[in-house]
Amino acid sequence: MDISPVFFYLFAGLAIAFSVLVVLKKSPVASAFCLVVVFFMFAGIYALLDAHLIAAVQVLVYAGAIMVLFVFVIMLLNADSPSFDLGRSHLGLRVGAVAACVVLLGLFVYAFRASPLQVPPGALTAAQIDAAGGNTRVISRLMFSEYILPFELTSVLLLAGIVGAVAIAKRKLGAPEGTA
Amino acid sequence: MDASTTIRADLLTLTSEQAMMLSPYLWVFGGTVLAMILSVTRAIQPRLPVFIVSVLTALVGMVVSLGLFAADRVMLFNNMMVGDSYANFFNVVFLASAALTMLASFEYLDQERLQYGEYYLLVLFAALGMMLMASALDLIVIFIALELMSLSVYVLVGFRRADRRSNEAAMKYFILGAAASAILLYGTALLYGATQSTNIRDIQAFVQSQSGGVSIMFTLGAWLVIVGFLFKIASVPFHMWMPDVYEGAPTPITGFMTTGLKAAAFATFVRIFISTGYGDGLPAAIQSHMHDIIVVCAVLTMVIGNAVALTQTNLKRMLAYSSIAHTGYILVGMIAGQGSEQGYAPVVLYLVAYAVMNMGAFAVLAILAARADQGLNLRDFSGLSSRQPWLAFAMSVFLLSMAGIPPTAGFAAKYLLFYSAVQAHEIGLVVISVLCSAISVYYYLRVLVHMYMHEPEEGAAPLRPVSVWAAAVVASMVVLTVQIGTLPAGMLAAAKRAVMSL
Repeated sequence: MDISPVFFYLFAGLAIAFSVLVVLKKSPVASAFCLVVVFFMFAGIYALLDAHLIAAVQVLVYAGAIMVLFVFVIMLLNADSPSFDLGRSHLGLRVGAVAACVVLLGLFVYAFRASPLQVPPGALTAAQIDAAGGNTRVISRLMFSEYILPFELTSVLLLAGIVGAVAIAKRKLGAPEGTA
Repeated sequence: MDASTTIRADLLTLTSEQAMMLSPYLWVFGGTVLAMILSVTRAIQPRLPVFIVSVLTALVGMVVSLGLFAADRVMLFNNMMVGDSYANFFNVVFLASAALTMLASFEYLDQERLQYGEYYLLVLFAALGMMLMASALDLIVIFIALELMSLSVYVLVGFRRADRRSNEAAMKYFILGAAASAILLYGTALLYGATQSTNIRDIQAFVQSQSGGVSIMFTLGAWLVIVGFLFKIASVPFHMWMPDVYEGAPTPITGFMTTGLKAAAFATFVRIFISTGYGDGLPAAIQSHMHDIIVVCAVLTMVIGNAVALTQTNLKRMLAYSSIAHTGYILVGMIAGQGSEQGYAPVVLYLVAYAVMNMGAFAVLAILAARADQGLNLRDFSGLSSRQPWLAFAMSVFLLSMAGIPPTAGFAAKYLLFYSAVQAHEIGLVVISVLCSAISVYYYLRVLVHMYMHEPEEGAAPLRPVSVWAAAVVASMVVLTVQIGTLPAGMLAAAKRAVMSL
């Protein structure tokens, strides 16, 4: 018997549980660490899908580099205490939100059960990828040929993100805003 | 065939036509990088150079796109992007809107002490994202371009960092926008699962080949993608973010959002809409399904937008609700597109006309706004005709245009739009649209009454001197509004050509 469905539900369930914790935790550091767990679970799911490179990159880049930076920043900024009191949200709102989630979940479960998932295998089956020299090689070839446009655009997007972060973070609050 | 072992040579080179078609994008990106370098150079005072480089980047890019308007369609990057008249038409709109926004902002930023180079960089980045959105043929590229645009605009909305409303608007917009992006992305994933492709053309071919109806997975994916776009165009019931964001954003950015952002979202929506749900050769079931979704949204959007706008006293907020109402009219045009002889050209014309009059109106508001965007309430406009006769006149032209009164752009655009809806036998929709339009006259004219028939308030704050740049923006928009209103044929022909190239 194939064991991967068990692992899939394990990883997916834990990913969802910890995602909820990211939102619910009051302390930013705790939220950040929950997010690390979520990223590890994602890596597990990618590995189950035979996407080993993505799984490794997910752990190295997201769980490793990015999250470490996050945690550092949170700790250095000493932002461990919630900066504002959210108060208790309206009861009707919370009930409504949960109900909406349940309805959406039901809709998706219904949709995927009703529709026969006869997805024909695409151009890249596991056997073909092995024949072509493995995951990493195939991904690099595709990324720099067929998917070159999204790849390059992502760099532009990151550049815009950096400029945006500078625009928000550079100025000192309280100091009179003058010309840069 | 085997993409995993060999690389097609044509993917690694650009032909001269392709390089030509890409030149506006490369130009805008290059200009942005140059402006970025200038803004961090310590040797010079970067205020004016960054402004001039950014505006020139947008203007020259606009001219280049205009020159490419008549060129034949060129497929780019493995069919992920296309350079056609439609894309170039909208490139002109986006870059013009970016340039005018920057011109209208210069004095405003000085007054608000927000004169930072990043402002212009982000406007250019947003414009680049819009250009890519309108020319993308692949859902992945559309998503990245959408994020490029949205990310820049999130920051621009929160640019007045010391202001609570601006922060709140940016935060709301960011969280809701991120949720909408996630929905769009999930829909894309489902569509990929159902059709084996993220390319719009391939998805269209897939749907055309499905005679027995599509799977539920496809329907769900399409729904989610549509919801993502309905959020971006702020159609009811996904409009809740808009009034707060419009009110909190710096005034020129609000203008940029109503013109560039809206046109970009609609341009992409129309492109996807035609191929995934409304194009030729698609099963009637899908068409009627899409038809029903859009009709419900259009009616709700028009009625709620206009009804709530009636009660607003802050002009920015009123224009935000009016913007929602206009979204409804454009949706009517989208429904009618298939069944009328003009096709989707009235939609495109309406987007241009709407962009022109809003750009002008928000440029006027940016001039009139007191410190920290105060003083944009209805009573602050009392007696404007005696304090600033020319601004009052310009504002009246824009408001009359929004209300759809001849001889302005709004009238011509609305007339063509509703006429195409009549041709498509959507009589019920037309009746509702015209009634809503009639309601809207009340709140537009109320501003006119305040400007021309009321005395100025006692002790009203003195108005800022009007900068040359902002005055040029307002004047050119007045001319364009009247020009499109009296001689719409030229613009309509261009719009038609753009739509034909889809």
